[in-house]
Amino acid sequence: MNHWITLPVLIPFVAAILIEIVGRHHIGARRVLAVCAGLGTIAAGAYMLLRTHQGEIFTYAMGGWEAPFGVALVADGLSALLVTLTGVVSLFAALYSMNRHDTKGKFFHFFLQMQVAGICGAVLTGDLFSLFVCFEIMLLASYNLLVYTGEERGLKAGVHYVILNLAGSALFLVAIGTLYGVTGTLNLADMALRVGELGPEDTALVRAGGLLLMVVFMLKAAVLPLHLWLPNVYGSATAPVAAFFAILTKVGVYAILRVSTLVFGSEAGVAADVLAPYLLPLAALTLALGMLGALGSLRLRKALGFLIVASIGTMLMSIGLYTPEGIAAGLYYLVHSTLGIAMLFLLVDLIARQRGEKDDRLVVARAPAQRALLGLLFFAGAIAVVGLPPLSGFLGKVWVLQASLMTPHVVVVWVAILLTSVLALVALSRAGSLIFWKGEEADDEERVPRATAFELLPVFGLLACLILYTLFSGPAAELCMMIAEGLLSPGDYIEAVMGVRP
Amino acid sequence: MSVLLILMLPFVGILLPPLLQRQGRLAATLGAGIPTLLAFGLLMSLGPSVLAGEVLLASREWVPAMGLTAGLRVDGLGFLFATMTLGIGLLVITYAHFYMKKDDPLGRFYAYLLLFMGAMLGIVLSENVLLMALFWEITSLSSFLLIGYSSHDSEARRGARMALAITGLGGFCLFAGLVVLGQIAGSYELSVILASGDLITSHDWYVPMLVLVLLGAFTKSAQFPFHFWLPNAMKAPTPVSAYLHSATMVKAGVFLLARLHPALAGTSPWFFLVGGVGIATMFFAAYVAFYRHDLKGLLAYSTISHLGLITALFGFGTAGAAVVGVFHIMNHAAFKASLFMTAGIIDHQTGTRDIRILGGLRKAMPFTMVLALLGSAAMAGIPLFNGFISKELFLKETLDLPLMAGAPWVFPVVATAGALFSMAYSVRLVHGVFFKDPTEKTPKEARDPSMGMLVPVGILVAICVIVGIAAEQTAGPLLAAAAGSTVGGELPYYSLSLWHGFTLELLMSAIAIGGGVVLYLQRARLYEIADRWPQLTGQMAFEKVQGLILSFAEGLTARLENGSLQRYIVLLLGMALVAGALPFLEHGFVTGTAELTPTNPVAIAVWALLVVATLATVFTHRSRITAIICLSVVGLLISIIFVYLSAPDLALTQLSVEVVTILLLLLALFVLPKVAPPESSTLRKIRDATLAAIGGAGMGLISWAVMTRPQDSISDYYLENATYPVGGGTNVVNVILVDFRGFDTLGEVAVLVLAAFGVYTMLRYARHTHVEGVDDMASDRYPVVLVSVSRPLLALILLMALYIFLRGHYLPGGGFIGGLVASVALILQYLASGIDWAKERMGVSFRYVAVAGVLLATLSGGAAFLVEQPFLTMTLLGLKIPLVGEIDYVMTLLFDLGIFLAVVGGTMTILSQLSHMQEDREPFDEEARAKETDPWKP
Amino acid sequence: MEALIASAIAVLGGSGIYLVLRARTFTVILGLALLAIAVNLFLLSMGRVAPGHAPVIEEGLELGAYVDPLPQAVVLTAIVIGFAMMSFAVVLAITAHFVTGTDHLDGEETS
Repeated sequence: MNHWITLPVLIPFVAAILIEIVGRHHIGARRVLAVCAGLGTIAAGAYMLLRTHQGEIFTYAMGGWEAPFGVALVADGLSALLVTLTGVVSLFAALYSMNRHDTKGKFFHFFLQMQVAGICGAVLTGDLFSLFVCFEIMLLASYNLLVYTGEERGLKAGVHYVILNLAGSALFLVAIGTLYGVTGTLNLADMALRVGELGPEDTALVRAGGLLLMVVFMLKAAVLPLHLWLPNVYGSATAPVAAFFAILTKVGVYAILRVSTLVFGSEAGVAADVLAPYLLPLAALTLALGMLGALGSLRLRKALGFLIVASIGTMLMSIGLYTPEGIAAGLYYLVHSTLGIAMLFLLVDLIARQRGEKDDRLVVARAPAQRALLGLLFFAGAIAVVGLPPLSGFLGKVWVLQASLMTPHVVVVWVAILLTSVLALVALSRAGSLIFWKGEEADDEERVPRATAFELLPVFGLLACLILYTLFSGPAAELCMMIAEGLLSPGDYIEAVMGVRP
Repeated sequence: MSVLLILMLPFVGILLPPLLQRQGRLAATLGAGIPTLLAFGLLMSLGPSVLAGEVLLASREWVPAMGLTAGLRVDGLGFLFATMTLGIGLLVITYAHFYMKKDDPLGRFYAYLLLFMGAMLGIVLSENVLLMALFWEITSLSSFLLIGYSSHDSEARRGARMALAITGLGGFCLFAGLVVLGQIAGSYELSVILASGDLITSHDWYVPMLVLVLLGAFTKSAQFPFHFWLPNAMKAPTPVSAYLHSATMVKAGVFLLARLHPALAGTSPWFFLVGGVGIATMFFAAYVAFYRHDLKGLLAYSTISHLGLITALFGFGTAGAAVVGVFHIMNHAAFKASLFMTAGIIDHQTGTRDIRILGGLRKAMPFTMVLALLGSAAMAGIPLFNGFISKELFLKETLDLPLMAGAPWVFPVVATAGALFSMAYSVRLVHGVFFKDPTEKTPKEARDPSMGMLVPVGILVAICVIVGIAAEQTAGPLLAAAAGSTVGGELPYYSLSLWHGFTLELLMSAIAIGGGVVLYLQRARLYEIADRWPQLTGQMAFEKVQGLILSFAEGLTARLENGSLQRYIVLLLGMALVAGALPFLEHGFVTGTAELTPTNPVAIAVWALLVVATLATVFTHRSRITAIICLSVVGLLISIIFVYLSAPDLALTQLSVEVVTILLLLLALFVLPKVAPPESSTLRKIRDATLAAIGGAGMGLISWAVMTRPQDSISDYYLENATYPVGGGTNVVNVILVDFRGFDTLGEVAVLVLAAFGVYTMLRYARHTHVEGVDDMASDRYPVVLVSVSRPLLALILLMALYIFLRGHYLPGGGFIGGLVASVALILQYLASGIDWAKERMGVSFRYVAVAGVLLATLSGGAAFLVEQPFLTMTLLGLKIPLVGEIDYVMTLLFDLGIFLAVVGGTMTILSQLSHMQEDREPFDEEARAKETDPWKP
Repeated sequence: MEALIASAIAVLGGSGIYLVLRARTFTVILGLALLAIAVNLFLLSMGRVAPGHAPVIEEGLELGAYVDPLPQAVVLTAIVIGFAMMSFAVVLAITAHFVTGTDHLDGEETS
């Protein structure tokens, strides 16, 4: 029995419950539990990686009911990768929150762990409806994390975020319903088998269901034109929340990738290639608008939000090639950009605090008190998100270029990547120069809150992760390649779940 | 191994200067100097084998999937550049120790410098071209830091950003070009690429690849029209200029040309692009340099001009020209570094670099004068100096260009004109600073600097002179080795001797030298003419473009992301409509063939009521209470429809949810305005109505299309397995919920609990923000009738809830519905009797009931682990408990009980919070409380 | 019967969408409630229309005599999740109104 497959869901889920029961009145207990849960999730993810990195796929029949009747959990390299990444980001977000953020509201750690559980459930489940349920857990936890401080900024952004996503959830259900109506199943692998047998009279119906589903995932992933909500929402969250949200859009990317290759892959009969023609152009535009937005933002946090949009554009453009190299490069970049953005969100919090009431606005203000240290970290973070050497973003971009070279989309991809890289460079060098060089010296009279070692720890931790990721790019790229190849030949996945090959 | 060590030393050394800074300036300088010296020594130890023509390779795998290896290579060319990088680096470190001001943070400066040094070494020692591109961008980044070192100066900041933007852009193009190159050659290893010249030059992608690579080289080497960043980078401290802008960073571009020469050169695109741009830059920049009044500005343009000369030489594509190109790289590095340092000395000692102000310094600064004179002579190409030999060889090469057979005079004439201006600005530099009469007093009293600043200059000048006199004997072996790797085959015949007889190129040199002097004498008139010309510089163009992009980005972003949720929803809806409609437009709408179900008058009546109630909700939405009532009618009718469609569980759930939702909405209206203002324009309404109609019709059509199709689903399995001994219940829906798909149900209660917690937090904040109207809720409380009815009712409803809960597995009902019904009963007490009354009697926090429910459900699911069954296995036939015996379906009951508790807890948290908004008993100041209990906070 | 249900879904869905496009939080929530009802009916209809079929297992009935239980289970879950979301949204609207002083979606009166 592969009980370990349930761990990424159960660890944070049980931790969340315990946080409310055991740590009711004691913040210390909540924190200890949160750190343990973070470490546990990472360990579970790492173990999954270890088991799946040869391309093996494990399934787990929840409640003992075989697929497609019960809910099946499926562990493959892709889900292992996302679980590990979620664990890492949640751990650092939890650590950072212990500096004045997790006491602003009562249930921060509860919500955070619930969200981790929701994300892990979403990437593990092999069932479309439980994907919906996990998305809802994830969303409600994120709504809560957005408004948990009760600050006006978060509440205003929260109204937008919640209502838009409620509309998205309705759409999700319509899509699930349509697909169930045509195929008669909710299990993704079973659905993949069944769409192959549909007759031409069902073509339009199943494709409509598939595309509606993709629209929902695009909303979560913030793909053009559904990206506009993101910058303000992320820019209004507290630092640890925004840093953790860096993983949230990636769940959308995951869902697009999983469903569009498994159910609507190129061998799916009448349902073949539902998304493939549209993804790449949309992603390229997302990248362009995201980067222009980063350049045109008046606040640093918002600019970071737009950089997330741009990074989503980059990885989906690569994934949109639907070649092994393309998907692998997209996944490689996914890990990188999540770590890089998370680090910057934490860092910007420290910077903004030392700038006084100008906060993160891109205007002249007093320079941060720890100008050299924070400047150095900002420089490193900017290098990461622009995709400059020596950090892994550069390798990711090189790989995307390589992957697209032999395809018909080479011109679009290359122009988009090269031009937006320059825009990112200009945007971040302007911001950095404004904050660290142009900033006025702080008055001696004024007491500026200096960043403590404990506050810097998560920032350095994420930077260390980036550096390690760069150094071990070889195995990482190999893993991405293995995952990509597996996704493009979904037969193994279907066989692992259903016991038959299509 | 030692190659890797050479490369690593500067990077490792980065930490030393900042750490040693507290021990004083000397310690910081030593911290930077010692790693450099070590690396230099190690490099020299490789000298003999490299000069003998060996190529040292060391390679390690890094990212095989991308073709990226950590491969290093020391050949002649790399050795030459590494020598310059480390050698001049040492001199610059020494010089900077004396040059930099006392209060400058020297540690940071040296750290940046070492970072740059390491990156530059990386470029010249890379075997893998992707690795080279990686280091390439690091030089751009570190030069950004170095140029912006005087960050309080806005010009320095602007210059740094401009340099980064231009060289960064070039860097991106370069790595794109190198990706193509590697793809063509089949490998990113230089050994392979350099050997596949024919394959590369005949490939379809040759020209686009070449353009990309050249963009990298030209931006870095400041070739026209990308040259303007270099003069703006002169705000960097002078040691930086001496290092980056003479010998290293800008030389990376020409290094690249030399490096890829065997693979790319020799074609006509190469010739016209590289040769053309080079020669144009050489002339243009020499011309501009003559008009610069700032010493460093003059030197910057002179550098651009000389880089143009070198570029042109590589562009010619012949082996002979390439050899001269490499030779001029060496010579230029020596004299230009010395001149930058001299300019720095003058600035340091007099306080100005303006040639118009300076003058007559020969008396006050004799040593400096001598060094400047010798350096300038080399720059001008006067015989007996190294610059002369390479410049004359260059002129000779321009005379023999097969591809220019149509107009053979073009290159020689432009080259001579460039050399002429070169002479003129060199004369100006020496005469203007040291000989002509000063026009005004310099800010500082001029005198020769300390030996520490003069010695590095002296060493470089000595090299210029020695090489100028005996080139073959001194620079010969190094040149041969470096040129050997550039040419990539047999070296052609060349002579480095001073005298080649009376040749055409000698005449051209003579014209240049003579003409240059004449030009200088006529300078006053020339400046007057130049002043009348409109100023249009690349810098202005750059800033204009950057400004345009910025305002475009700001405008676009502000316009698109305008913070209007309505727009975002319209976009989402629009996307959904397109996504839903596209397949039908492409493939047609096909109705199914299944037999339709007959209808009856009652159904039609219910349908008509539903439509009326729904539309009424829409039309009354501004008077909100009415709308809520209409909505409740809709909900009721839906419950009836659920019953009719054989879904009693749904009907029960819908009914209880409906009651709670309506309650919630009514409570909300205590706070929110009860009437909404009219605000949408008619146009807007029509647009929205159209969208809504299409959206609704779409849903209806899909549902129609599905309902008319025959069904083939997995549901039969549930019907077959729901009862004993597998599922253990007859209510299939409930068995699915608590058993087949228990995972969803667990998630679902988690959602409910999360919502409850969210509501709890938000309302706590809301209660602390006093707003008028809240107290309305407090008035008119406890109506007597309600109180007297509700108490007996409570017991009754609770009993019913229990019944519904217990029978759920067999008949419609279960944890959900039972929980909701119980909640309704409880909330009635709140409404009827007030919070205090209810709280006293219930005495339990519903949040913990909710969490406990989730815990119970999770634990009953986890019990399966004990008997090695998957999580959430409910039918634990094997599980025996002492005394009790086998417990077949107990887990199902416990799980459902968990759900029940979670639903009651969650719903009650929501409703009770809402209904006592004006109450507050718990301490609100979370932060203060946290401090009390948090052992980690001081 | 199918036509009645499909048209009911259309009317409910369209009305919901229209209200969701309004500018006030409360109205949008009303719209979402209608939309949720429409979606639930839609989901149920995906199991085909089956008036008079058995929802609970009885002895001796053929499989064809039962209604498809899976959409019902799905709708039940969807109703509960929808309720949770609805209550969160309502309270968010209230809180936002407290803090911003308006019930406009964007937190400020635009017109």
